[in-house]
Amino acid sequence: MKERVAHWITRLYPRLWRDRYGEEFEELLTVQPGSLRNIFNVVWSAFREHIAHGTVAAENQLCPRFGSVVRMPSAAIPMMMSLSAFIVVLVHLAASGIARQADEGAAAHIWQMLMAGQIPVLLFFAIKWLPKAPRLALVVLALQAAAIGASMAPVFLLKW
Amino acid sequence: MIDDIESLCGSRLGPGTLYGAIARLEEQGWIEPLPPEDRRRPYRITTEGVAVLQTKLATLQRFAKTGLKRLEAL
Repeated sequence: MKERVAHWITRLYPRLWRDRYGEEFEELLTVQPGSLRNIFNVVWSAFREHIAHGTVAAENQLCPRFGSVVRMPSAAIPMMMSLSAFIVVLVHLAASGIARQADEGAAAHIWQMLMAGQIPVLLFFAIKWLPKAPRLALVVLALQAAAIGASMAPVFLLKW
Repeated sequence: MIDDIESLCGSRLGPGTLYGAIARLEEQGWIEPLPPEDRRRPYRITTEGVAVLQTKLATLQRFAKTGLKRLEAL
């Protein structure tokens, strides 16, 4: 895997985790193949680290903080899925170039599943958090919309 | 480590999975880090880790022995 890719996907991990394991983990990634499987493995593991070490009982707080709300699975999962979809696009660009393929391949199907699969989670987040903390929820929803837009932009710009 | 585990078990761990396991094992006190070599860091099993591993392997050995014995009886 290229050093740059290794560096950027290591940054998906929480800061505390990166402080402890970041350097050796990046080194490991540079000697591993930059396959979709490995990239998804790292992205998913980074998400799990966020959940494992970032769960604050935001529901019990009278005034939940942005950091605690954005770490909730219903907020983090759609963003991670959009990020994963964006990575799928980048890897496909790197492997196959910008030419439109005659048939939809595995990358296209994975992208579609990631984009469609986050919709129920987004709806759940909106239903749960808009009544409780409308401003915070709107900020998080705006971030999620930006992540979706970033993932969809290359697909629309390249007319795939 | 990834290659060693693959030769032992036949399945290849992803790097994220490996480091998730390393972090948990270190948290439990069953492995400890050694001084880094370049950018790499070796790990070593602790005394507590050896004890835990021995117990688990003994359990697995009994399980495998009983299972094979029952299969022979079929």
